[in-house]
Amino acid sequence: MGLRDVFQRVSQSPTNPHAAAAPRTFDVADLYQGPVSSADEQPGTAAAPLDEKLRQAYFWIVNTAIISPHYDVEFNQAPPQSFVLGDVKSRLTLPSAQSYSSYVLLPLLTFATRRKCLFVGGPGRGKTASAILMGVLSGASVRDVRRAMQHGHPQMTVADLLGNPLPADLVSAQRIEDIRISWRSWLGMRVKIIDEYNRIPTRTQSALLTVMGDNYAEILNHIYECPDSAWFLTANDEQGGGTYQVIEALRDRIDVIVQALAFNPRFLSELLVRIEQNVRPEDAVPRQIMFTEQEVDRVQDEIHGVPLPPEVRRRLEFFASQFEFFEGAAEQFEYKTKDTARLAGVEWAGLTAQDTGRDRLKDLGCQTRNGLSVRVLMTLLVYAKALAYFRGNRIVELADVRQILPFVLRDKLVPDTDAPFFDAPGNAKYRVDRVGWLRQLFDLSCAEYDRLNLDAEDPVAALAAEFREGLDGVTRVDARARLVKIERLIAEWSKGRKLYGNLYDDLLSLKYIHQRYTNYLRWLETQ
Amino acid sequence: MSAAVSPALVAVLRAERHQLNERFAAARVRHPDLDAEAFAKFIRGAIDPLVGAVARTRPEHVSHVAVAAYDIALELIGQKLAGRSARTPHVGAAWRRILPEVAPLVAAEPERMIAAVCNASHHLASTAGARPAAWIDLMVRLAGQVTDCATFLTLGQVAAWRSGMAHFRKSAVAAADTLPESLALAAIEAPAARWSQVRDRLIADPWYDPAAPNDASTTPRVVARAGAFRGFGGLFTEPPTAAMADGQLFVRGGSECWLLMADAFGATFHRATREEFERGRARSALPDGISVRGGTATVRGCSVGLPSAFGEVTSACASHTTLALTSPHTHAILLVALPVA
Repeated sequence: MGLRDVFQRVSQSPTNPHAAAAPRTFDVADLYQGPVSSADEQPGTAAAPLDEKLRQAYFWIVNTAIISPHYDVEFNQAPPQSFVLGDVKSRLTLPSAQSYSSYVLLPLLTFATRRKCLFVGGPGRGKTASAILMGVLSGASVRDVRRAMQHGHPQMTVADLLGNPLPADLVSAQRIEDIRISWRSWLGMRVKIIDEYNRIPTRTQSALLTVMGDNYAEILNHIYECPDSAWFLTANDEQGGGTYQVIEALRDRIDVIVQALAFNPRFLSELLVRIEQNVRPEDAVPRQIMFTEQEVDRVQDEIHGVPLPPEVRRRLEFFASQFEFFEGAAEQFEYKTKDTARLAGVEWAGLTAQDTGRDRLKDLGCQTRNGLSVRVLMTLLVYAKALAYFRGNRIVELADVRQILPFVLRDKLVPDTDAPFFDAPGNAKYRVDRVGWLRQLFDLSCAEYDRLNLDAEDPVAALAAEFREGLDGVTRVDARARLVKIERLIAEWSKGRKLYGNLYDDLLSLKYIHQRYTNYLRWLETQ
Repeated sequence: MSAAVSPALVAVLRAERHQLNERFAAARVRHPDLDAEAFAKFIRGAIDPLVGAVARTRPEHVSHVAVAAYDIALELIGQKLAGRSARTPHVGAAWRRILPEVAPLVAAEPERMIAAVCNASHHLASTAGARPAAWIDLMVRLAGQVTDCATFLTLGQVAAWRSGMAHFRKSAVAAADTLPESLALAAIEAPAARWSQVRDRLIADPWYDPAAPNDASTTPRVVARAGAFRGFGGLFTEPPTAAMADGQLFVRGGSECWLLMADAFGATFHRATREEFERGRARSALPDGISVRGGTATVRGCSVGLPSAFGEVTSACASHTTLALTSPHTHAILLVALPVA
C-alpha cells in the first residue's frame, strides 16, 4: 500500500448507520466483512446504494482531500452539549448526531442534484480545488476538468466562452446556417466550473446566463444543447464585487452559496504530508466514489422521490409567507407586496417609515427587503430532499430544512439592516452573519407557528382541504354554506387583528377559494 | 530483527526493503500512533511462521504472501486489532494458529485468505455471546480436510455459526449444503449421520444440537440464559424485559433495546430500536396453550420448572420454538425450548 493508496481509502459502509426495519435478516457472508480489506475487493462499495456512495464520497473528501474540520451543519438525536465561551457569550455546540461540513456537503448535494453552487471566500482557501474535485467525481480526468474550467477575466469575450465560427466558413458561406461553429469543449462537460465569475464582463455574463439558465449556447443562430450538468462557480466576493458587477439574473440562477471557512492551523501537518509526498488529492480520487452519468440520473430520481411530509411543508409555507407582504406598498390587496415597492423604485427607507402600527420587532417580514421567489422555494425543496437522501433518511425532516435553508437563501433573502431587529441587543452580529441570521429567522418562524398552534388549529388548511376534495356533488346549499364560512372567518380576523405576512397569504387563499365557490355557485344557478 | 526470523522472510524483507518501508510510512500517516515495536514483534511471531509454512509447501509464493501479510499486519496493528495494544487476543491468535495450517491456500490467494481469517475472528470477537476461541479451535482441527479457498471460507462460515453466531443460522445452513457431507457434519460437530437428516432437524428445531442429541424435544426444557449485567461484561444495566414481534425476540434493558437471536449454538444481541421493541410489546400475549404461573411454565399440558431463584416473571413472550422469560432478579433472559410440533 503506497502513499497514493492512503489518499484512496474510502470509508466503510454504513457511513451513517440507521436502525434496521424488522424483520431483519443476517447473511453469514458478512462474516468476512471487516476492518481488513483485501486488495481485490472493497467491501460494501461495489454494490452500495447511491446515497451510501454519496456519503462515502463526502467522507473521502473531508478525510482525505479538503481539510475542512468545520461541522457547521449540525444534527442532533439527543440534546447536544453546549458551552458558552468568551466575553460576548459565544456558544459552542457539540452535536449528538452525524453532522457535516457545509463546504463539502453543499457542493456534493449540488453535484447530485445537478444544480448551481457558488463558492465564496478569500483567495487561496481551496474554492477552485473543491470545484475540480467535483469535476473528477463525475468521472472526468483531472486534466480534462482543468482544461474545461473557465477562468473569468476582464477581457473574456462571448467567443472565449462559447466558441468561434470557423474562419473559412465565414469567408465562403452564402447563408448563416452554413457557418460551422467550433464550440468550446467545456459546454459538453457534466460538471461545469466557472472560476472567478465576477471578473467576467457584463456582455459575456449575459451569454453565460443563457447557458446557465436555459442550458444551451447560441452563436450566429446555431444552437449547442448542453447536457444536464452541475455548476460550480467561484468568487472572492459574493456581493458581486470584483472587476464587474454580476448581473442580477445571473446571481439569481445560483442555487446555493457556500463559504470557504478559515484554515485551522492545527491541521498544518496534513498540508506537510502533501508537500513531502508530492500528492494532490484530485489526482487520487478513488474510482469507487466516481459517479457515471446514469448513476447521477438515478440519484436525482431518488432524491426527487424523497417525500416531504405535510407537517414540514406547512412550517415552510408559514416561513415563506412572512416576507413578501408590505402593507403600505399598494391600495389593492393583491399588490401589497415588497415586489410592488421594488418595481416602483421608491426609496425603501421612506416606505418603511410609513409602516403601520405592527410590532416591527416581532414581525419577521420587517427584517427583509424582499420575499421568496418560486425558483428559490423550488431550490429549497430540492436541497432539503437531497440532504435527507444524503443522510439516508426516507423522508425530509424539519432539521433538514432548517440546516439547508441558510445556504439557499443566503443571497436571495435580502436583510433590511435598518430594521429594528438588527438594533436589538445581541442582534448586531446578524448584519454580518447571513447564515446565522437565516437560521434564527427560521427558528423564530417555527416558534411563532407553534405559538399559533397551527398544527392543530388551521382553519384555512381545513377549508383548502375541503375545497381540494372537488366540487362534484356540492349542492347550492353547501356552496353557500362554505362561502359564509369563509366570510365569517375573514370577518373574525378583521376585528382588530394586525396584518402580518402569514395572515395576508391566508386571506389571499381564502379569497381564491371564495372566488372558486362563487363561480361554481353562479354556474349551478344557470343550470 | 533479521536474526530472529526465518531466512525466507529475511530474503523478502531485503528484496522489498524500499517498498515495505514506504508502506510503513504510509500506514504511519493513517495511524500516527502505529507501534513500530509491536509491529516488529508481530512480524516475528505471526508473519514469520506463516511465511515459513508457505516456504515449506509453496516456496515460489513466499514473496507475494509476505508482502500481503505485511500490508494486512500494518492495518491490524494500526487499528489496534492485533499486537500488544489489541483489544482482544483473538485476531492475532487466529492468524498464528489457523493460517500456517492452510499455508497452500494462503499461497494461492494471500490477500483474500488472510483478510478473511482476520475479519472473521474480529467479527466473532466483537459479537457479544460468540466464542472466537472455539471457532479458532474448530478451524485448526478441520483445516487439514480442506483443499481449496472457497471450501475453507464456507467452512469458516458454518463454524462461526457453530461457535455462537446464532443470527447466521439460516444462511449458515444454506452454506453447509455446499460443503462435502463429512465436512458439513464435522463443522457442526455432529456424529456420523446423513447431512440431509441433520439439516432437516436443524431447520425444524433451533434447539437441536447435533453434538449433544437429546430426545427431549417433545417436552419443554430450559435451554439457555442469555445476557448479563454490564458490570460482568454483559449488556444490561438493569434487568431486561422481553417482547416478540414478527417471530423475532426483542429485549429492553434501561433505555437500550436489542434483538436477541438464540439457538442451541449460542445467543447474540443486535441493536434494535425502541419502536421495534414496543411493536413487540403491543403483541406480547402468550400463544394459546402456553402459560407461566408460580415458578412453572406449562406448554400444551407439559410443565417445566423454572430455576428456584428466578422469582417473579416480569415479561414472557414466545415464538413457535422458544419461550422467553425475564425476572427482576436477573439480568439474563431465560429461554425455554418449546416442544417441536
